[in-house]
Amino acid sequence: MSEKLRVTNLVKTFGTNNVLKGINLTVNENEVVVIIGPSGSGKSTLLRALNRLEEPTSGSIVIDNVDIASKGVDIDTVRENIGMVFQHFNLFSNLSVGENIMLAPVELKKETKEQASAQAKKLLKTVGLEAKFDATVQSLSGGQQQRVAIARALAMNPDIMLFDEPTSALDPEMVGDVLAVMKDLAKKGMTMIVVTHEMGFAKEVADRVVFVDDGQILEQGTPDQLFEHPKNERLQDFLNKILNV
Amino acid sequence: MKQKVFKFLGWVALLFGLFFCLVQSTVTAQAKTYQIGTDVTYPPFEFANKQNKYVGIDIDIMNAVAKEEGFKVNIKPVGFNAAVQSVQSGQLDGVIAGMTITPERKAKFDFGTPYYKTGVVMAVGKNSDIKSFKQLKGKRVALKTGTAAADYANSIKKKYGFKTVTFDDSNNMYEDVTTGNSVACFEDQPVMQYGIKQGLKLKIVSSPANTGWYGFAVKKGQNTELRKKFNQGLKKIQANGTYDKIVGKYLGNKTNPKVKGKTFTIGTNVTFPPFEFANKHNKYVGIDMDLIRAIANEQGFKVKIKPVGFNAAVQAVESGQLDGVISGMSITNERKAKFDFSQPYFMSGVVMAVGKNSKITKLSQLKGKRVAIKTGTSAADYANSIKKKYGFHTVTFDDSNNMYQDVTTGNSFACFEDHPVMKYAIKQGTKLKIVTKPAESAPYGFAVKKGHNQALLAAFNTGLKDLKASGTYDKIKAKYLGTDDNGSVAKTAADDAGSRSFFGLIKQNQGALLSGLSETMWLTVVSIFFATIFGVIVGLLGVVPSKFSNGLSSTLIYIFRGMPLLVLALFIYTGIPSLTGTKIPAFIAGVVTLTFNEGAYIAAFVKGGIEAVDPGQMEAARSLGLPFGKSMRRVILPQGIRIMIPSFINQFIITLKDTSILSIIGLLELTQTGKIIIARNLEGFKVWTIVAVMYLIIITLLTWLSNWVQRRTKV
Ligand SMILES: Nc1ncnc2c1ncn2[C@@H]1O[C@H](COP(=O)(O)OP(=O)(O)OP(=O)(O)O)[C@@H](O)[C@H]1O
Ligand SMILES: [Mg+2]
Repeated sequence: MSEKLRVTNLVKTFGTNNVLKGINLTVNENEVVVIIGPSGSGKSTLLRALNRLEEPTSGSIVIDNVDIASKGVDIDTVRENIGMVFQHFNLFSNLSVGENIMLAPVELKKETKEQASAQAKKLLKTVGLEAKFDATVQSLSGGQQQRVAIARALAMNPDIMLFDEPTSALDPEMVGDVLAVMKDLAKKGMTMIVVTHEMGFAKEVADRVVFVDDGQILEQGTPDQLFEHPKNERLQDFLNKILNV
Repeated sequence: MKQKVFKFLGWVALLFGLFFCLVQSTVTAQAKTYQIGTDVTYPPFEFANKQNKYVGIDIDIMNAVAKEEGFKVNIKPVGFNAAVQSVQSGQLDGVIAGMTITPERKAKFDFGTPYYKTGVVMAVGKNSDIKSFKQLKGKRVALKTGTAAADYANSIKKKYGFKTVTFDDSNNMYEDVTTGNSVACFEDQPVMQYGIKQGLKLKIVSSPANTGWYGFAVKKGQNTELRKKFNQGLKKIQANGTYDKIVGKYLGNKTNPKVKGKTFTIGTNVTFPPFEFANKHNKYVGIDMDLIRAIANEQGFKVKIKPVGFNAAVQAVESGQLDGVISGMSITNERKAKFDFSQPYFMSGVVMAVGKNSKITKLSQLKGKRVAIKTGTSAADYANSIKKKYGFHTVTFDDSNNMYQDVTTGNSFACFEDHPVMKYAIKQGTKLKIVTKPAESAPYGFAVKKGHNQALLAAFNTGLKDLKASGTYDKIKAKYLGTDDNGSVAKTAADDAGSRSFFGLIKQNQGALLSGLSETMWLTVVSIFFATIFGVIVGLLGVVPSKFSNGLSSTLIYIFRGMPLLVLALFIYTGIPSLTGTKIPAFIAGVVTLTFNEGAYIAAFVKGGIEAVDPGQMEAARSLGLPFGKSMRRVILPQGIRIMIPSFINQFIITLKDTSILSIIGLLELTQTGKIIIARNLEGFKVWTIVAVMYLIIITLLTWLSNWVQRRTKV
């Protein structure tokens, strides 16, 4: 079990609003980490800091022994190895499904057009949408869009995948399809950091669950430890709330 | 007049004025003032300098002598013949005008001690090998008619076997030699010397022949005292070195660009008949136009007439965009502070005109009423100066037709206008009548920027003098104003009565209107092209992740969107050249103006369009590792442009309409074309209708195009 990512003393402030108050987190290779916590606790901010969509205020983020939070790093190359999936999919609305997936590999000269389209088709197959290659983004349902978004993120062959509430904008009947794709990915050994409220997914897939509240990690451990034997009072409150909804 | 100077120049002028009065009064206290005639322009003996003050060897000698002997002279540059005649008739006391002492003249005048020795010299091209008369055999020699030099050349022509060709004017003669048509010319020595110092590409190769002397003259048997004083003073200034200094000053090492062969751009009003207006063939004619062309022709330079409107012309001359202005411009003291004027070429005066059926006949009836005036005219100055006294208020227009119209429609009760202009307009059918006698009679002058284009000014003066002498000047005047008060002008009013219908007007002005339209389209297309480039760059600067660029973008948008287009146009056309000293052609100034103004609007909606794209699109692109530029190009811009397209097309239409504002800098686009046609035929309503319909047709076509493009991009 080798270390893939280590976050040390990560602080993020927006003006006077101290959102992340010193996060320390280590993720190992092939590990699936699920982040849970109440709304506004800083989960998205933490996730977005990991590929510097949010610029960290201080602290370090070491991936494969490189501190990507330091100034000299070419963040674009770093991001090629970190896939990200957003709550609202963010598919490029000016491009077709296939073009969405092919854009980055072709633009960044990783692949030729032919290679990219072959790979896009393969990826679409793995998310169960091989028929939608030429479809417009607008013609897809939310669940389909999110699966395309996952395929798009995978097209750059990343080592790490970040998911920010990938299913919370979906109609309930579509959640399953997306989670299935994610489970599949986890099975194949992808290192994943997932912010989600899907407790079933967390229990089944996560190697570790991390509870974030008020910009801090208050407790972490196996799903069993966190869900069945929560120690922290606020975690207990939180679990009560979501399980009783 | 003096009061105005005080008002405008404040204390400086006051001090100058006091100083001037002081000098005047101390001198006049013990000294007699003699009236001395001289030539208008006979460099280096007499000519107006940069400050429009008469200088030259004659003038300086006369002044030096007067100072030495303690008398005062009033030098009148009335022209050689007039001066000589006036001395004979006793109106002037003496004449100093490069006047050669001859036995004939001695019969009628008493000459003072000769003060300058002159003679005829031969001049050849700078690189010519000719050194002696003998080398002229079989060759062509240029002469100027009626000069002593020509007489001399003719007297030796047989002996040396050369042919002669005569010119009416020195410049043409010189040019014939510089171009190589003739191999030599003959000229008075000091004149030739001065010309060469001023840049003529000739050299003097013979010693002065047929020498004679210039003398100061008074009427025979009269003014003996003056003549004695002149002789005494001359002796003194020759002894103390002043005389040599004076001669050296003019024949020493001064340079001045020559006008010959040069092209000068001359500004004039859009419409100020009978001084300037476009005729049926849209060629600019009128007293000013004919005069400046005749002078240019005579003096051997070329003119480019720019009918940009009076104010624009004046400003453009001030800023150096134009070389001179001839625009029925009254010579006033205020203007003299900024311009050097030529000799007056026309005397005008201000009259009041009222509607044909108006009962107003006196200034006193204007109390409480509205009076129309035209900006920057001396008629306006006059109206303003009496407005308090008679209790009327004024409304200002930029062009005469609008002013007349304001009176004919009854919005204003009267207008003030220069007499010849009003007269001409009424003869052309303007429904007004003149009810006052000309007041504030004012001389019109040709003007250049103070201290600039002196060669042009001198050429104008020389040319004017020549035209007056040859009768051309009177002919020009008669052509527009008639020989008597009911001259030939009435004819032009009647001649196109048949073509006053809409279709007649369209047919008659088809060419002008279409060329105006094409100028408008060109301006629009070229401007929108550059405006788009400018706008997209500035718009993008507004969205890149750099505080400096964002600030720059906002500032540019703020400045160019905040400045009225009219002000921007005038600033670029007349302001920039004042700062940099380089001229900008009107078309380029127009394009630059629109590029900045329309570009600022484009920048604003480019920025807005990009900002309207969901920020999640940018984040998704960046999270894949795409750099900012690539994300912008492949993801954000394609979506933003779709949002911008309607605004782009809208801006295109706005630009087309905004080109009409550029008529202010004299661009002959559709609006300006309309103004000019109306200036001629005074059919305001009909012509503006035609112009308006033309704009609407073009804009309708553009709107269709825009709808089509929008439909296509929506799919
Ligand atoms: N760009 C920003 N500028 C200012 N404040 C921000 C910004 N982004 C997030 N915040 C603030 O940071 C805090 C944490 O936000 P964040 O989105 O990370 O919470 P979250 O845990 O993801 O919540 P949710 O479960 O609702 O998604 C919130 O108070 C939010 O208002
Ligand atoms: Mg969140």
